[in-house]
Amino acid sequence: MTLRIASFGVRGFVGVSLTPRVAMDFAGAFAAHLGGGRVLLGRDTRGSSAMLHAASLSSLVAAGCEVLDLGICPTPLLQYSVRPRAAAGALSISGGHNAMGWNSLTFIGPDGEFLDPNGGEAVLDRYHAGAFLSADWAHVGTVQPVTNFSSSYFDALAEWLDVAAIRAAKLTVLIDPVGGSGCAFLEEFAQRLGVRLLPINAQPSAYLAREPEPRPRSARQMAGIISQLGGDAGFLLSSDMTRLSLVSETGEPASEEFTFAVIANHVLGRHTGTVVTNTCTTRMIDDIAAKHDARLVKTCVGQAYIVSALLDEQGVLGGEGSGSAVLPDFSRAFDGFLMIGLVLEAMAQHGKKLSELLGALPRYHIVKRQIRCDSRHGYRALDFLQAQLRARPDAGTLDQTDGLRMDWPDGWVHARASRTEQLVRVISEAQTREIAMQRADEIERLIEQEI
Amino acid sequence: MKESLKVGVSGVRGVVGESFTPQLAATFAQAFGAFVGRGPVVIGRDTRPSGIMLEQAVIAGLQSVGCTPVLLGIVPTPTLLVATKALGARGGIAITASHNAAEWNALKFVNRAGLFLDETRAGELYDLYHQGEFPLVPEAELPGLTTEHGAFARHMERITNYVDVAAIRARHFKVAVDCVNGVGAVFTPAWLRDALGCEVVALHDQPSGIFARGPEPVPENLGQLGQLVRRHGCALGFAHDPDGDRLALLDEYGQPLGEDFTLALAAWQVLERHAPGPVVTTVSTSLCVDAVAKKFGQDVIRTKIGEINVVEKILQLGAPVGGEGSGGVIVPAVHPCRCAYIAMALVLELLATHQRPVSLLCGEIPHYHIAKTKVPIVADTAPELLRRLRRRFEERGAHISLLDGVHANFGDRWVNVRRSNTEPVLRVTAEAATTAEANTLVRTALEDLRG
Repeated sequence: MTLRIASFGVRGFVGVSLTPRVAMDFAGAFAAHLGGGRVLLGRDTRGSSAMLHAASLSSLVAAGCEVLDLGICPTPLLQYSVRPRAAAGALSISGGHNAMGWNSLTFIGPDGEFLDPNGGEAVLDRYHAGAFLSADWAHVGTVQPVTNFSSSYFDALAEWLDVAAIRAAKLTVLIDPVGGSGCAFLEEFAQRLGVRLLPINAQPSAYLAREPEPRPRSARQMAGIISQLGGDAGFLLSSDMTRLSLVSETGEPASEEFTFAVIANHVLGRHTGTVVTNTCTTRMIDDIAAKHDARLVKTCVGQAYIVSALLDEQGVLGGEGSGSAVLPDFSRAFDGFLMIGLVLEAMAQHGKKLSELLGALPRYHIVKRQIRCDSRHGYRALDFLQAQLRARPDAGTLDQTDGLRMDWPDGWVHARASRTEQLVRVISEAQTREIAMQRADEIERLIEQEI
Repeated sequence: MKESLKVGVSGVRGVVGESFTPQLAATFAQAFGAFVGRGPVVIGRDTRPSGIMLEQAVIAGLQSVGCTPVLLGIVPTPTLLVATKALGARGGIAITASHNAAEWNALKFVNRAGLFLDETRAGELYDLYHQGEFPLVPEAELPGLTTEHGAFARHMERITNYVDVAAIRARHFKVAVDCVNGVGAVFTPAWLRDALGCEVVALHDQPSGIFARGPEPVPENLGQLGQLVRRHGCALGFAHDPDGDRLALLDEYGQPLGEDFTLALAAWQVLERHAPGPVVTTVSTSLCVDAVAKKFGQDVIRTKIGEINVVEKILQLGAPVGGEGSGGVIVPAVHPCRCAYIAMALVLELLATHQRPVSLLCGEIPHYHIAKTKVPIVADTAPELLRRLRRRFEERGAHISLLDGVHANFGDRWVNVRRSNTEPVLRVTAEAATTAEANTLVRTALEDLRG
């Protein structure tokens, strides 16, 4: 329940670690970092987002910012809008994929990307020092509500995608935005792409109708009805529209690891280039990159790291196994609308069903575990685990970009302390389910032994 | 140290850009929410540029402790008081520094009866604030927010039900009104036109919160309005303060009557046409009010300075009218609070019934003259000096009140000596039928102080 802070944002549990005061201090630090100026503000539909929105707005105005208030707005749409509106930055308030009770503030820079995690800790320094801006009474900021921000975004998206092909395919899609910030934009999106929309959990809601992480477990409702409804593809999203998982027309929920894989296979097939992902994403990506002769760069977990590396490496595509993708030539955001569009485009251009696109990918078995332990113990346990794994006679290649990863020819394991919860997350992927399970069991045992 | 924050019986007042931050406002709102309990809390503000910043901070603070903000937006302070009671809210917060300079703003706290907190209740609130621990509610219990648009109209309905609107409308009065770029700029010209059938010449009627004249409706700030009255041949002039509780009048020659005459004329109309009973006002109000009360065989009851003190005495005695000499008229049948709108309605009704110009009506009320000075004192000698004065005044047959310093009433004249709240001085004020007599009272008091 603690407050997790990073150079690009702060996440906490509402009423415990994330209070109006904390939001005001961080928004104040961010505004001071920007030196005032024009700032976009957007939020999702969570019960606490309105309160944090009011708190942030107050601080931005106190610092003298000209606030363009987009109200309820998907995070990728907010990020996209920064450049066309010539803003100094944006502040996003969203619970994202986190469970009810969590919320976060994310700081977005002048080009629409999360503040660079490698670019110093200017906002944090200001937060810790309490070094905010206080405009005098005649120069306090202003607030201007903005309501018509989506059409120029969808114009750009429609230009980017092969809408003619998608339209011609006459697709029926099920979209479940978990009552979050995407709800109000689904109709417009579907109209632009010329697909028939069947929305699920698409009334804006302060509560979560299902687990907010898009993955097979959250897909039960959709998987049960998609074939009866004649749906060609099903899409589950997080409340902020940054993560996506897929359900095939046969009612088969795909692991969230397949989202980036389907997109990478499609995008690189057209135009190859450097791809960025994190160190705990499925090996499908390694295989797909190899197939398309693409260079693969691996970073720490998180949108901020992926986008930063994409810019460093002049990559064409980034994404993560948790169900995200970014095309830096379109925007600097993990973008649920773009991802859905790319999946539909892949289906339409290749004349394939979603189940066929999924079936064509190299298949691995992935096991994900969560081990409860507080951060202190978690870090110690990871040290212990590293020593144990290194000492094994069959030790593979070790990578410590983010947490701990060991690769063998037939699979890999990854263990990392969660940034949001008191957990160690373990991922084990292998060519067979038995090996994956067996390695996950072993890691779990070693960690539990140490804590 | 430059004074920039005052926490007292009239609320929390501070200079924007210095001590009055979003964080401070949110914390006071949390304390107030904890003080009144979960439920609706009404929020209104004046036109100051910092109003939006404090409003948003107050929203976040209230929601965090489980109170539902009910937003009135920009409204006169009396409208907020009326609405708090009418809506059955737990309480209200008025965001206004009233007649203070533009760099100041304030939070003023209102109980469920629509009255400002008295000294005891305010003390309890500040005690909660200083304890600093508020029961923050979890996300699932966070309330939303409601917006209320009809508050001003419902307030005005109470006023137009009280006075004889037909009589006023029949006269088609031409009036000039100086809105000082405050809340009056939003409401007053239209209300005078539509509800009371006046022809209106408006001055400073942009609700910018950048006050184009001194914010107090005192004669030295009303030169422009006087010119307007003369140029357009108006029957009278109305001068607002920024939040619509105080009102000053100008006669048909554009001469300011002095703010005490607002209460005098309003009391005249109430006692003559509406209801008998005593008139309640503060120790510093002019004797012209006594003269009016005497005309109708009524007493004047004096209280300590401060709106809430007058209101409590009015309610206790069941008085039909009261107020402050600074232009604040209170008619409890409408709502027990100072209100510029009931004052305007009563004065117009008086003119309509008597069919005589305002200068002639004023001519029927004896005019008194005020003399003032201040005397530097050595710190801590004030109590002994005031005790000595009290004995001297008693020896001369004065009726003594200790509500504010020493107040000596000689029937047709009075003298008041009190400590300043802001400087190491004693303030001496006297009122009598002639300037010479008032000066004599002051001179005598100075001699008494010397020994």
